[in-house]
Amino acid sequence: MDSNRLRVALIGCGQIADAHLQELRRIPQASVVGVCDVHIDLARQAATRFGVPKAFDDVGSMLTATRPDVVHITTPPHSHRALALQCLASRAHVYVEKPFTIDAGEATEVIDAAEARGLRVCLGHDQLFDPAWQECRRRVADGDIGSVIHVDALQGYDLAGPFGRLLQDEPGHWVHRLPGGLFQNVISHALARILDFIPDRLPAVSARWSMAPDGPAFPTELRVLVAGGSCTGHLTFSTRVRPLRRSTRVLGSSCALDVDLDARTVTLDRAAALPGPLAKVELTCDRFKQAGRHLTVNLTRLGRHELHYFEGMHTLFCRFYEAISTDGPMPVPHRDAFRATRVMDTVFASCRSAAQMVASDRELVSGSAQ
Amino acid sequence: MTICVTGGSGFLGTRVVTELLARGHHVRCAIRSAAKAAEVARRHSDEQRSRLETVVGNLDRREFCREFLDGCDVVIHIAAPLTGSVPALFANGVIPTRVLVGAAADRGIRRFVLISSLAVYGTQALRPGSVLDERCPVDRLPHLRDAYTYSKVAQELVCWEAHNDRGLPLVVLRPGVLYGPGRALLTPRIGLTIGGVLVQMGGRQQVPYCFVGNCARAVASAVDATGIDGMRFNIVDDSLPSGDEVLRRHRMHVGRIRRIKIPGWAIGSVARACEWGSARSSGMFPPVLTPYKAAALWKRLRFSNELAKTHLGWKPLVTFDEGVRLTVQREAAPGCGIGH
Repeated sequence: MDSNRLRVALIGCGQIADAHLQELRRIPQASVVGVCDVHIDLARQAATRFGVPKAFDDVGSMLTATRPDVVHITTPPHSHRALALQCLASRAHVYVEKPFTIDAGEATEVIDAAEARGLRVCLGHDQLFDPAWQECRRRVADGDIGSVIHVDALQGYDLAGPFGRLLQDEPGHWVHRLPGGLFQNVISHALARILDFIPDRLPAVSARWSMAPDGPAFPTELRVLVAGGSCTGHLTFSTRVRPLRRSTRVLGSSCALDVDLDARTVTLDRAAALPGPLAKVELTCDRFKQAGRHLTVNLTRLGRHELHYFEGMHTLFCRFYEAISTDGPMPVPHRDAFRATRVMDTVFASCRSAAQMVASDRELVSGSAQ
Repeated sequence: MTICVTGGSGFLGTRVVTELLARGHHVRCAIRSAAKAAEVARRHSDEQRSRLETVVGNLDRREFCREFLDGCDVVIHIAAPLTGSVPALFANGVIPTRVLVGAAADRGIRRFVLISSLAVYGTQALRPGSVLDERCPVDRLPHLRDAYTYSKVAQELVCWEAHNDRGLPLVVLRPGVLYGPGRALLTPRIGLTIGGVLVQMGGRQQVPYCFVGNCARAVASAVDATGIDGMRFNIVDDSLPSGDEVLRRHRMHVGRIRRIKIPGWAIGSVARACEWGSARSSGMFPPVLTPYKAAALWKRLRFSNELAKTHLGWKPLVTFDEGVRLTVQREAAPGCGIGH
């Protein structure tokens, strides 16, 4: 094995581990030396399919036997803290899948442990490195839309998918034990897109969750309002809307950008120059031209094999490894990992307190009716 | 006799439970959700319900499996997911099997019947026109096939390990492609559906179909048959149709579909092109079709069910004609096919 290559190990061989191992194959400066899962069958299938030399069912044994430079943690969130601390103690840098930890207290522990040892921890906010989001960032930085006033992020979720069905069938599933339930496992990316444009360390948060009529017996709808000093954001998470989209509208002081991660497009929405009915023709024409450009770009990307679903993950891995190798800046700084976790805590606390208020209001109403 | 059944709320499982109750057995079903457990109970008469127990829980929990198998004589393990990624199928199929098999070996049951799949065979080495019987080895490189096949091979290996190392009295049934009321007639054995268009693969080759009611009877027969521990059985119907024939029936009874046909002689070349495209795009196009998969799925073979007929005393009573008729009828009451 090339000694200049980073030795990478992975813990947790579930669904998202496939994406990690697939993307790691495309990174020549990384070599996967071991995979581990508490269920050896899962570890073995990952090792077999991705040509990893060793499979383990014990983290300690893997760390001792493979001496990795970096460990990717792709287990359920409640195990992130303990595993990250174990890996850091064995002097490995750590990549943690979202959500980072169960709460901000755990996040602080992990970050402090890394910084005390001069190691790096990277939170897996890979959608921030999706080519469409990167283009959005670039255009905002270039001043295409003026200053950012508001960010509207939409995240759809399919409860009829394999994981969604499992959640509905199993009241004891680990997702239901998270403080934020399903949302804690899923909203990280949409929230990160909002926080990307909110500079405040701890923005104000107000949130509500609710159950869908005729839906499962746990909250599946979430609305979050985030307010920083100069910018606000709104997150809509829904299991009921179709089509399922990961889209964001970034509203600026002069124009807006519509970012569609599924189509991998960024569309500029600007005011019309022509008056009255001609404006309608002008705006349609403008969108038509942009759609033509998107088609050309995506066809070119298709020809160049640049339309991988997890392109953002690939970029994030490369930048993380570069930061490790060159002691350069982190693609997702430690403070951002902490802030994302802290905001999530506030979101769920706000939801719980709103739900309690609604419950006590109902009691009052039913009491006065009697 | 108490028979513990997993997957009792599924497509095959509901029919197996009905068949076992009809044969006078006491049946205990492990079901993941309370709603599905109630649905299973509702399907049966009061008398049958007195011999039917449902327990709600997860097979990947040791404690639950131990309780589930308490007082059990025979286990029929049907539960296995059909679709999803490899990790999902392993997590929900292979891992629960390992836990269940461990509990069954500890308990010292009389028989463990695993419902595997005809897909597990490594047919790549067989010559076109050969007979596929139980002597054919299991695929040695199942990770190069689809997620379902890989998980079924792994599931079998877990059971054979327990048979060889711990003396688990194992019987493996390998049904062909199950069809019947509640499931589409067209399956990947006929072709792949891409963007609403069926890409038919060949058409003259025999497809190893099995009517779900026929299979349920074979499973129930495996409970009582003697001298079959350590054996495996193919469960397919007699007089199997060709892919073209299945498609013709589908057109006749269900409706026309948009279709592109890849002739049998061209499948290998198309598969090689797909594999090349996937490798060249560094996985941007997933390797949906490869020569290895193509050889396993669409090779011209004949399928034998002789061993099951001889040792299980089983006979597929519902013919393909009748099976198609039952399938395309409104499946008002699942399980209705069993009576034929």
